Amino acid sequence: MQIQPSDLGLIARVAGLAKRYGHGAGAVTALDDVSLGLRRGEFTAIMGPSGSGKSTLMHIMAGLDSPTAGRVWLGDTDITELGDAALTVLRRRRIGFIFQSFNLVPTLDVRGNVMLPFELDGRRPTQDEQAWIDELFDTLGLGGRLTHRPHELSGGQQQRVAIARALATRPDLVFADEPTGNLDSRTGREVLGLLAVASARYGQSIAMVTHDPVAASHADRILFLADGKIVRDAGRSTPEEISAFMLSMELAA
Amino acid sequence: MRTRMKDQWPTLLVAALAGTFGVLLLHVTGLLAAAIRADDVTGESDTVALMLGFVATVFVVIAVYVSAIVTSNTVATVVAGRTRTIALLRLIGSSARAQRAQIAKEGLVVGIAGAAIGVLAGTGAAFGVEQFAVANRMLPPTEYDYLNPAVVLPAIAVVLTTWLASWVGSRRVLRVRPIEAISNSNAQDREELGRRRGRNVTAIVLVAIGIGLLVTGVVVGLTDPMGVLIGLAGGILSFTGVVLGADVVMPPVLRLVGRLFGRSPAARLAAENAVRNPERSSRMTIGLVIGVTLVTTFSVTMESYRAMLLAAQEAQPEVYAGIDDMLNATIAVFTVLIGFSALIAAIGMVNTLSLSVMQRTRELGLLRALGFDRGQLRRMIVVESAALTVAATLTGLVLGFGYGWAGAQALLGGAQGDPVFVMPGVPWVMVGVLIVAAGVLTLVASIAPARRAMRVSPVVALAVD
Repeated sequence: MQIQPSDLGLIARVAGLAKRYGHGAGAVTALDDVSLGLRRGEFTAIMGPSGSGKSTLMHIMAGLDSPTAGRVWLGDTDITELGDAALTVLRRRRIGFIFQSFNLVPTLDVRGNVMLPFELDGRRPTQDEQAWIDELFDTLGLGGRLTHRPHELSGGQQQRVAIARALATRPDLVFADEPTGNLDSRTGREVLGLLAVASARYGQSIAMVTHDPVAASHADRILFLADGKIVRDAGRSTPEEISAFMLSMELAA
Repeated sequence: MRTRMKDQWPTLLVAALAGTFGVLLLHVTGLLAAAIRADDVTGESDTVALMLGFVATVFVVIAVYVSAIVTSNTVATVVAGRTRTIALLRLIGSSARAQRAQIAKEGLVVGIAGAAIGVLAGTGAAFGVEQFAVANRMLPPTEYDYLNPAVVLPAIAVVLTTWLASWVGSRRVLRVRPIEAISNSNAQDREELGRRRGRNVTAIVLVAIGIGLLVTGVVVGLTDPMGVLIGLAGGILSFTGVVLGADVVMPPVLRLVGRLFGRSPAARLAAENAVRNPERSSRMTIGLVIGVTLVTTFSVTMESYRAMLLAAQEAQPEVYAGIDDMLNATIAVFTVLIGFSALIAAIGMVNTLSLSVMQRTRELGLLRALGFDRGQLRRMIVVESAALTVAATLTGLVLGFGYGWAGAQALLGGAQGDPVFVMPGVPWVMVGVLIVAAGVLTLVASIAPARRAMRVSPVVALAVD
């Protein structure tokens, strides 16, 4: 019998992953033989300087892009060969997204944005799910703003709505791409705190791509990428430790 | 700076079409006038030639007016598409005025090119029409000089309106702030809202006066057929009011129509997209509203007229023999002539929808990332296109029926001595053609944007620019 990722306590896994753009002399290698597993319920940060391949890695793990070589699992599903339709349904049901900006559909109000994944699936939230969504609205302080449009909200509030949407379907994995990149540092800390709570209290698995040492310091585990390779796998670290390592990476390059 | 004119091709197309139409119409009028002059019976009278010239002028004015609205629309879309570049140039020191002058200059160039194409294509088409008509014995061989100086008029009109419409359409350049080159801000301008309020007041006043005159025209028409002239003035005033107040009129109609497409996420987003930028959707639809209103007004009036004539024909068959065929031919020719402005308006809509979808690439990527499949995305665009077309067609039909009936009532209400109520005739063929045309337009307008939307990779939504 084959060992499944879930047997290892993993929510997502990639093996021998490579991604190359272009051909011949002009070819660029974004990822070079990357293998890793994200543990269920953990808040993992993926760090690296610009061009290290961290965004490409996230895109492939989220089924938004396909690898040149290697395999990708979400839960026990091998998603490497899945077609566009199957990946779309997978993203709808099993993955949540939080982007740096432009997270929300501008023509829908807060409630409409959070409910969108359910409506795309052609169903209403169950009673249990509705209770969870109400709790999210409550925890994230969105209760009074459910009928507001995105342009009526501050940057921090918009990110809270994105978090609510990403958590609403209780997906296997939430991907956050520089979720605090557009926020001031105090609002950014609040958003990071909310992600950490979602992971610690509700067992939500989260993968966050960032180049900000302060943001990464909120994570349980930090993976460092450089030139398309994983160069370090660290546990919870202080911003100072993270900065020091990033700096040493830059100097070694 | 070298001019980038690639995004101006819809403006060129509109200018060329309006020019072609105007030149063709004047040539054909000239041809007919020449044929009439050559005829022994009618040759003595100048009245027919004069009437022909008048009718041709009216249609050219309508076509130029619609193309001016469509052009200011396509130019505004060009500006929206270039906002980043304009902001960047402002950032490094170019003045807003210079940027706007640049767009207006492009309008002049495009207008001249369009007029030139129009003169060539229109003359060619007129020549083709002549050959066809002569070969089919619809027209005797006539001496007509194609160097008719009158065709300069539509050409000049096209150049001037394209230039002017570019100037009006480029107003938004003044509001592009240099900071937009480096940020994503999208603040609504207050000044714009204030100006819009002033315009709305004008619109309401025009509509009120216009309706007053229409009612007066109908009442006067009960005893005197000249009432139709009062009604005509009322129609022009109130319709100008509707066009001016399109920002207020169209969004509620669009919302209402949007609801017809159901509650699925694709349909709901499409309905919202159709009104997300009220100014743009009003501009996008109003040209079509004008075209449909004109066509409907004309055919409803004629249909009412025909119903009355048919009734008269039953009473006195010998007097009215053959009148039905003549009426049908007249209606067909005029509907095609007016329908031309609707065609120009349709081009404007296709172009604007296409560009507005292009500017939404990031949002489309976001929707794909969140789990919209390709089919849902396509449905969303088709429904948005349908909402715009249906709203414009419906508005035009309703307005046209109102105007058409008022016209018929004012003209015919007292024509037979006693005041009568004129039953509005329903031109079913025209309604059918309009519905089919609206369907075709919906599909044509959505093909390119839908294809582009379906190609958008969700990775785009995650890309930080």
